[in-house]
Amino acid sequence: MVNSRFTEYLVYIGNVALAILIGLALGALIIWLGGYDPVKAYTGLFETSFNPSDYYYFATTLSYATPVIFTGLTFAISSRAGIFNIGAEGQMYMGALGAVIVASMNLPSPLILPMALITGTLMGALWGLIAGLFRALRNVNEVVATIMLNWIAFWIIEYARNYGLGDPRRQEKTISMPVEGRLPLLVKNTELSMAFVIALIVAILVYIFMWRTKIGYYIRVLGAGVKTAKYAGIDPRIITLYVFIIGGALSGLGGALEICGRPPTYAITTAASNIAGFGFTGISVSLLGLNHPILIIPASVIIGGLLAGSRGMQIKAKVPLEMVMAVQGLIIIALSVPGFTFVYRRWRIKKALRGGGSA
Amino acid sequence: MSEMCVDNPLVLMKDIVKVFPDGTIALRGVNFELCKGEIHGLLGENGAGKTTLMKILAGLLKPTRGEVIVKGRKVKFRSPADALRFGIGIVMQGLSLVPVFTAYENIVLGSRGTKPSREFVEKLMKEVGLIVPLDAVVENLSFGVRQKVEILKMLALNVDILILDEPTTNLSPSEIRELFKSLKKLREEGKSIVFITHKIREVLEVTDRVTVLRKGRVMGSVETSKTNPRELAKMMVGRDVELLIEKPPWRPNGVALIVDELEVMGDLGVPAVKGVSFSVNYGEIFGVAGVEGNGQIELAEALAGIRKPLRGRIVMNGDDITKLDVSERYNRGLAYIPEDRKVALIMEFSVLENTPLTEISYNKELVNRMGFMKIKRIVEKSMGIIKQYGVVTPSIYAPARSLSGGNQQKLVVGRELMKDPRVIIAVQPTRGLDVAATEYVRNLLVKMRSSGKAVILISSDLDEILGLSDRFAVMYNGRFMGILEPDKVTDEELGLMMGGYTYEEIKARKV
Repeated sequence: MVNSRFTEYLVYIGNVALAILIGLALGALIIWLGGYDPVKAYTGLFETSFNPSDYYYFATTLSYATPVIFTGLTFAISSRAGIFNIGAEGQMYMGALGAVIVASMNLPSPLILPMALITGTLMGALWGLIAGLFRALRNVNEVVATIMLNWIAFWIIEYARNYGLGDPRRQEKTISMPVEGRLPLLVKNTELSMAFVIALIVAILVYIFMWRTKIGYYIRVLGAGVKTAKYAGIDPRIITLYVFIIGGALSGLGGALEICGRPPTYAITTAASNIAGFGFTGISVSLLGLNHPILIIPASVIIGGLLAGSRGMQIKAKVPLEMVMAVQGLIIIALSVPGFTFVYRRWRIKKALRGGGSA
Repeated sequence: MSEMCVDNPLVLMKDIVKVFPDGTIALRGVNFELCKGEIHGLLGENGAGKTTLMKILAGLLKPTRGEVIVKGRKVKFRSPADALRFGIGIVMQGLSLVPVFTAYENIVLGSRGTKPSREFVEKLMKEVGLIVPLDAVVENLSFGVRQKVEILKMLALNVDILILDEPTTNLSPSEIRELFKSLKKLREEGKSIVFITHKIREVLEVTDRVTVLRKGRVMGSVETSKTNPRELAKMMVGRDVELLIEKPPWRPNGVALIVDELEVMGDLGVPAVKGVSFSVNYGEIFGVAGVEGNGQIELAEALAGIRKPLRGRIVMNGDDITKLDVSERYNRGLAYIPEDRKVALIMEFSVLENTPLTEISYNKELVNRMGFMKIKRIVEKSMGIIKQYGVVTPSIYAPARSLSGGNQQKLVVGRELMKDPRVIIAVQPTRGLDVAATEYVRNLLVKMRSSGKAVILISSDLDEILGLSDRFAVMYNGRFMGILEPDKVTDEELGLMMGGYTYEEIKARKV
């Protein structure tokens, strides 16, 4: 009885391992069907993500883990409240845009970095707040609202890149973060910056927030149902707003950190190509990490490795980019299945308990 | 009782026993017969077994024992579709229409084979006198019209044995009148109808014969024209055993709560509480009896502040609290034990995490200035509840779902009483508990009352109300039928009030 939760988690780890194998097998099938060598492809994948003999690759993996920790946390917090905020994508765009705006402003150098992070965080929070207001006040489905807001954010940054914030010399990107506003690298000549450390600290802070503060407690109570929340004397609308504001702020900060802490461009590139997708990948990270802020960290490293290793697959096995993306997507889906079933099963148990006893 | 029908009975149910998997015995050997072309009332209070019996007839449940004979053939229905083949259809209490479909789409939704044409449905409507706007979307229709759509849907499936489960809930008086007119028309068309209800007045108005159930047994089956409300009430309600609860003498000590002309909206957009006034004293248990679904839950939620009233006033301890939110009411000494333990507890949370649920919103001692929870304080509190109220749990870190039902309820009750409230609202506090836990919770409520707190006990368990209350009201259709003392009321009077007659009417011998 006491150990039931422990064994539950052991079973879960087994499931994850199984999912990785299934994902890789399905991916191999696709690579093989496409006429390429799966063994070579996967060798390339691992050599460029978890290669023990060259730390550069693992640093790259961690640099990819960084943004998806933030977007994963956004999704995790909302899930805990029973809300499906899939707007991390757009919230991250807005955060990145905030940092670029600050980069364009010629501020005194010590102010640039803090202002960039704060502006990014606030703009992400604002973007979350919009969906939150729709949901809290008009009961608009948050999935619909956040998906549309993702696209609005996308076109706003595209507009900004074309008119006003574009790099006058290089059309394919926005103004870059000036050197004074960039985060120091953790490992020289890699993409891994202090942003990763910030991500770790934030994940721990979110954990403390969710399990040690009154608001965090309220968020988790809301996840148990609106009826229970009302019984507890909580206004579900206000907690819903908190969930969207905090979630948006996290993804916004993640976006700003991509601008301040990721070589080589320190800017938003055409069609948001250097930040697009992190928001949705965050959902997988969160599910893989059972919507738990601390478990999201290892989950982000696994998925970060996949993102990093895709280049290796391309180079070593000559698998075309499109197929790499397809395989990568397949593995990510396979990976989030055990987390999904785990969360779903708990939800089913909860629901069964709630519905029980009717005759 | 078998020579009731002129011909052979259309439906004959013999010695039906139903035991649910959890051990509840819903039917203890019930005989029931339905004649052709009659409206047959099935009367009883909660848990009498009315709905269970009819679900068996409609193929939704299988009897544990007993025989069902329909139109002369012994049947064993495995699904509602089987029952439909014999022309048996049931309209359940919760309406089962698709809200975004039109009336016509709903009517033809369940039909097998070719879809009934519009002309067919229009002809059907004229034949039976049930006219509904076929092109209107159901969610825009009133409950009365929706009820008609449900019935038409059954008729389109060629049902000639129609079972209606509490069909007048949520209908306005004029809608009820119309429904009854339609039912009588259907009877003329040769349909047979079973009308499940707890409303005595309606039974007398619309049925030809009535069978009364009480706690899984048939108390009688009579022709409606040869009976009267008092006889039916007596059959419907009976005290099993006098509850033996040690209760010190009643010493009311000042007014705790005044409720004045309270009106509360129900979930379906129809008022559920329709002008209720009463007051509760400190040192008193005030009971609210009645068949479930007559507005008791809405009343409790309005008192707790979870539901905003439409009209009326709530005064606690001299202050008007009508406009205060839930947590402010808790702060002023109100405690609420809801009916559903899955609302009162978060099953995934540990005992510890469930401890501050209804207190953290106002008690500054549980949270520091930074908004962090004072875990040590909460641990102490949690330990205190477990010890004082004898909650059996491996530890305070065990999830609430791992506790037995009785211990979950002890945790809820203990948590609420540990707040040292002045006014306690308890809704069905012993439902589903074993004998020991039931007695424990009841004794606690009495102890609270004797220590000078005001207790409002809402329960559909009549024995509980009569055994514990100092004064009590019977609630029916959103209103109080009377406020009385338990030892000054007869079973017959109780039955009449639960069936819809006010105490004044009864006393004035108008029944």
